[in-house]
Amino acid sequence: MLFSSALIGLREGLEAALVVSILVAFLVKTERRHALRWVWPGVGAAVLLSVAVGAVLTYTTAQLSFEHQELLGGSLSIVAVVFVTAMIFWMRKASKSIAAELRGKMDDALDVGPAAVLLLSFLAVGREGLETAVFFYSTVQAAQSDTVEPLIGFAIGIAAAVVLAWLLYKGAVRFNLTKFFTITGVLLVFVAAGVLGYGLHDLQEAAFLPGINTLAFDASSTLPETSWYGALLKGIFNYSQQTTVLQAVAWLAYVAVVLPLFLKPSKKTTPAPAVAAASKE
Amino acid sequence: MTVRKTPSLAVLAGAAALVTLAACDSKSQPAAAGGPIKVAASDTACEVSATTANAGNLTFEITNKGTKVTEFYLYAEGDRIMGEVENIAPGLNRRLIVEVADAGKYQTACKPGMAGDGIRGDFTVTGGVAKQNDTNAQKAEATKSYAGYIANNTSALQDETVKFADLVKAGKVDEAKAAYARTRTYYERIEPVAEKFGDLDPAIDVREADLEPNQQFTGFHRLEKDLFKTGLQPDSAQIADKLVTDVKTLVGKTKTLELSALDLANGAKGLLDEVATGKITGEEEAFSHTDLWDFQANVDGSKGAIASLRPVLQAKDPALVSTLDKEFANVQGLLDKQRAGDGFKSYTELSQDQVKEFASAVDALSEPLSKVAEVVSK
Repeated sequence: MLFSSALIGLREGLEAALVVSILVAFLVKTERRHALRWVWPGVGAAVLLSVAVGAVLTYTTAQLSFEHQELLGGSLSIVAVVFVTAMIFWMRKASKSIAAELRGKMDDALDVGPAAVLLLSFLAVGREGLETAVFFYSTVQAAQSDTVEPLIGFAIGIAAAVVLAWLLYKGAVRFNLTKFFTITGVLLVFVAAGVLGYGLHDLQEAAFLPGINTLAFDASSTLPETSWYGALLKGIFNYSQQTTVLQAVAWLAYVAVVLPLFLKPSKKTTPAPAVAAASKE
Repeated sequence: MTVRKTPSLAVLAGAAALVTLAACDSKSQPAAAGGPIKVAASDTACEVSATTANAGNLTFEITNKGTKVTEFYLYAEGDRIMGEVENIAPGLNRRLIVEVADAGKYQTACKPGMAGDGIRGDFTVTGGVAKQNDTNAQKAEATKSYAGYIANNTSALQDETVKFADLVKAGKVDEAKAAYARTRTYYERIEPVAEKFGDLDPAIDVREADLEPNQQFTGFHRLEKDLFKTGLQPDSAQIADKLVTDVKTLVGKTKTLELSALDLANGAKGLLDEVATGKITGEEEAFSHTDLWDFQANVDGSKGAIASLRPVLQAKDPALVSTLDKEFANVQGLLDKQRAGDGFKSYTELSQDQVKEFASAVDALSEPLSKVAEVVSK
């Protein structure tokens, strides 16, 4: 009871915290601490909105039908992918300019707008926020009527996710710049691919997209989401034990397009029109 | 991306959209009778408290009593997901609200461990796009059950009338006399329904005292007069044949009759009014004096309608239901005192006091009965 709720908390928490921690590391690493103050309002707004709407849905007669909930989660995930993709390419540019030791130039070219930082933080946390909030209220209700174990488990899971994200941040900032960009960038590519697949899967579940039962693979028994390693994989890379063909194709296509673009050596003259390419996704 | 106001606006817009969505979704209340459909999920079972529901918004409340995290799905045919809720950790209650617009076969499924095809159960959705709430479903059930009561009594009425008419035509006066009151019982039980068909009720059941000028005296009471007073007339056989024809026509018409719950309520009251105005006075059976048979039949019919409406009334006004039960029992108790053989004493044997007693008991029952229509139409 405790353990399974803790895993859910860990997974949901990681999904939200991972992108935020990389964003924070990126801002710190590139001497952009002034933009950090836009991270927390974004995170805070997402948490507050999720908690508020979750409360309304839990304690009033207001309802959100399954389709609307999936549409919301799915769409926000797709929007989040666009933002994370943009972030990947900022990082690419940053790493190139740092490699070229053109710090001053980097500041001008890569000044991340507060709006971008805020929205990215908001989306990273908000896309799964409602589902997490509703789950949280269920544990609260169980605690009031029956057992506190799920609530405690959930809290432990969230705390563990925050700790892991913090460790990731700590570890990431210890790398030298070039390595930091490469590692976190590649990590983000896979995270974004997972979020994309996840969002599409949500839309398939709500029947906005076809093919929910056309599975690419089913690893329910070999790599179950209910195991700790499955939960970690899901939290970090949005792994699904039952992956639909559409999900798999989107994931592969995203990685196949974005990863080479991110890793390819830039031409000396013009930076790659990478964002444009990515936004076609 | 340099506009400072964009983020807060976006967040606000998001919040507004969410609240709007929730508000829109909450307009249609769940169609399931008696609140959400409870699902008790465990590692090995998936017990759904109802396996049918009316189309519309269905609310499932899933409780995970097992040790594994579970999911709950509602599938349409071909495993199309209508709705699902994930992450139901052990010990938790989660709600799934899903809109099902089409009647048909569905399946519920719990997936302990969130894997596999899950523990399936059949689930049937009825009705079109149901704008029905619980009450309407109960009312529909009530009229359906009363239609059954009508059907039973009309078919008995037809059989008994044919037998009675044959006895009249055969000139077997004593046997016809004996069959008279019993035959009328079936008619008196469903009288409010018969009254819905224009001229049929007078043709079958007109009393001599109520005849309009130039109206032919036909039906039960004409034969009653022939049997109990004047002796059989040359046209008695004709009258008997006409009675059979009219009764058959009536029975045919009741088969297509669409009654509303309000009709039941008014009918239950109407039958008691019949008792108060006709039977208590002894006017109904002026020649045979079998008024108490009719009295009993009217009470039966009224009880039948109330029995069908019972779930509706119970839901809206349980106190009224107990009052009705009490007053029906009171009237029935008085009637039982007047039984003789397989029927009742002649009305002429009643004392003034007994008639008064009947009158006040009927009044006491009429009072709660007159409230039924109002409660039903709430």
